[in-house]
Amino acid sequence: MYTLTGVTKTYSKRGGTVIAVRDVDLSVADGEWLAIQGRTGSGKTTLLQLLGAMLSPDSGVVVLGGKDLTRLPEPRLAGVRAATIGFVFQTFNLIPTLSAQENVEAALVPMRVADAQRRARARAALHSVGLADRAHHLPAELSGGQQQRVGIARALVKEPSVLLADEPTGNLDIDTRDEIMSLLRTLWRDHGLTVVVVTHDCAVAARAERVVTMRDGALSAAAPPRAG
Amino acid sequence: MFFLTYLRREMRHRIRQVTFIAVGLAVGIGLVVVVTSAATGVKNAQAAVLHALYGIGTDITVTTAPGTASSTAHGSGAFSPGKASEIVDQLTGGSLGLIDESFVARIARLPGVADAIGGLAGQTDTRLTVPSLSQLGPGGRPPASALNPVTFFVDGVGPAGTRLGPYASGTIGSGRGLRASDATARVAVVDSSYAEAHKLKVGSAIAVAGKSFTVIGTISQPPTGGAPADVYIPLAVDQQIGMGPYGAGLRSRVDTIYVAAASSADIAAVREEISALLPAATVSTSASLASAVTGSLASTASLANDLGRWLAIAVLLAAFAVASLLTSAAVGRRVREFGTLKALGWRSRRIVAQVLGEALVMGIAGAILGVAAGLGGAAVISAIAPPLSATVGADPGGPVPQNVTFNGGGRTSSTPAGYYHTVTVHLTAPVTLTVIVLAVLLALAGGLVAGALGGWRAARLRPAAALASVE
Repeated sequence: MYTLTGVTKTYSKRGGTVIAVRDVDLSVADGEWLAIQGRTGSGKTTLLQLLGAMLSPDSGVVVLGGKDLTRLPEPRLAGVRAATIGFVFQTFNLIPTLSAQENVEAALVPMRVADAQRRARARAALHSVGLADRAHHLPAELSGGQQQRVGIARALVKEPSVLLADEPTGNLDIDTRDEIMSLLRTLWRDHGLTVVVVTHDCAVAARAERVVTMRDGALSAAAPPRAG
Repeated sequence: MFFLTYLRREMRHRIRQVTFIAVGLAVGIGLVVVVTSAATGVKNAQAAVLHALYGIGTDITVTTAPGTASSTAHGSGAFSPGKASEIVDQLTGGSLGLIDESFVARIARLPGVADAIGGLAGQTDTRLTVPSLSQLGPGGRPPASALNPVTFFVDGVGPAGTRLGPYASGTIGSGRGLRASDATARVAVVDSSYAEAHKLKVGSAIAVAGKSFTVIGTISQPPTGGAPADVYIPLAVDQQIGMGPYGAGLRSRVDTIYVAAASSADIAAVREEISALLPAATVSTSASLASAVTGSLASTASLANDLGRWLAIAVLLAAFAVASLLTSAAVGRRVREFGTLKALGWRSRRIVAQVLGEALVMGIAGAILGVAAGLGGAAVISAIAPPLSATVGADPGGPVPQNVTFNGGGRTSSTPAGYYHTVTVHLTAPVTLTVIVLAVLLALAGGLVAGALGGWRAARLRPAAALASVE
């Protein structure tokens, strides 16, 4: 699914340049569940953004499904994000003024899905994460776990081939964390997704088929894929 | 449609800020409506005054200064006492110089001129008792009981005078008006107020220059008609019995030529042509007359045009700036939201459209509130504005005439009574459809400016901003 070759990303900050990702080579197979571990500031989120076509590397190549993302202009990248990649964020990133149903529908807007179909698919996605009865609640009226379920429904409603999750359980308690991870695992199996999860939580990483660790922007170790 | 759903939710969520921006725009828009309406009202008032002073359809008046007395001229208004006292009744000009009547036809033939007529305006009939030499007091001063002049104002109206000039702006009350067949008849049309004060009616006799005239009708000038003549007589008769400045004869002479231009665009060119034809003449247009108008109307016009306009522009700019800053600040607070949408695949133009749509709704709200406030403000002005007065000389732009009167020891000069006309008008603030359309467009422009700034900022956001932090 993914092939990263010699990918480097730097940021200019006051006082100098920070190398967030340093000469990374990485392959992710179709349907694989990969966990990226590392300390805060190790570059794992930047790597996830590169995978998600939200950042362009300074050097190197990021290939997704045969497409070199580094050669695509922003409108085409937006199209890739809209159709191929689903995101799950640590802080849920739900639009506070929209209901759970409308937040899920927002993911279908760039795909120009007809109104009725958009609503039906959003309802089905919420049902699949067990929140059919919370469709008209605002995010502020939902618990953290419920908000993350909405976030997962939003990521999956467009039926992407890749799910990228940035610390998906970072803001949740242990019980809710396990619930969310079980849900993600079920959906991964049911939908045949390729999942990349960034986490510093070993319990979350342990659910992955393969774990890579980042240190100072470089992939320092790669654990062999585990049996699902 | 998701665009509208998102828009509605966002507006409801930020109702305070939306209200604040809309009210800010409304204040600016309301002020523009009020100031524009008040300026229109002042213009209308000026037009009413000028119309009254000029007469129907007159675009240009041509007059000349009376010049200086020759050594042999017998000055009008100066009388020499004889052995016995005598009653003198003279019809004299003095405030305006004389123009050969042939210039009326020559001006009428100029390009861009639709009509031109001549008349004798601002003449004064003076009836007084000149004391005898023996009645003069020390230093040749006449006794207080002597002189005691009785005066009234007379206009000589040509056969075409019903088309242009002050007479044309009046309405015949009783009797009839002057006709072409009256050209040489001793008939008079009397101002209705003067007729009432002096108990004159159709068929009454009135003495002008010591000659008896028959009153054939009364005429009412409009309320803003300034100080109209008291008596209108045929021009040809006036030319026979009246005197010009310093006793000059009036035969084939007029003192005012009223000109109507073919179109308003021709006025400036016609004015130049007349000035070339009559270099010494004062050629007044309504614009130059407006500049000669003084009084509270002129002050209000100045206030509306200068202070009001700049105040409205300043408030409008402030409202635009506040709306832009608040919208931009709102975008700043929604960085993660817009970043998330970009991460979901929303294109920048769609997010910009969303921000513009929100700003446009605020602009529409500002337009509605602003027009309502403007209508209210204009209504208040119309209701409570005090009457305005305008003062203008009978010959704006020309030299102020002087009455020269005998006092035994020499002559004294004074501005003739009635030379300055003061007209009272009521200020209204009419709100036209054009003003409302302008206000709505301004409010929408304000919303779009604010939205464009916010949209530009949103378009520059990177989708990576959606994530909690950038490592």
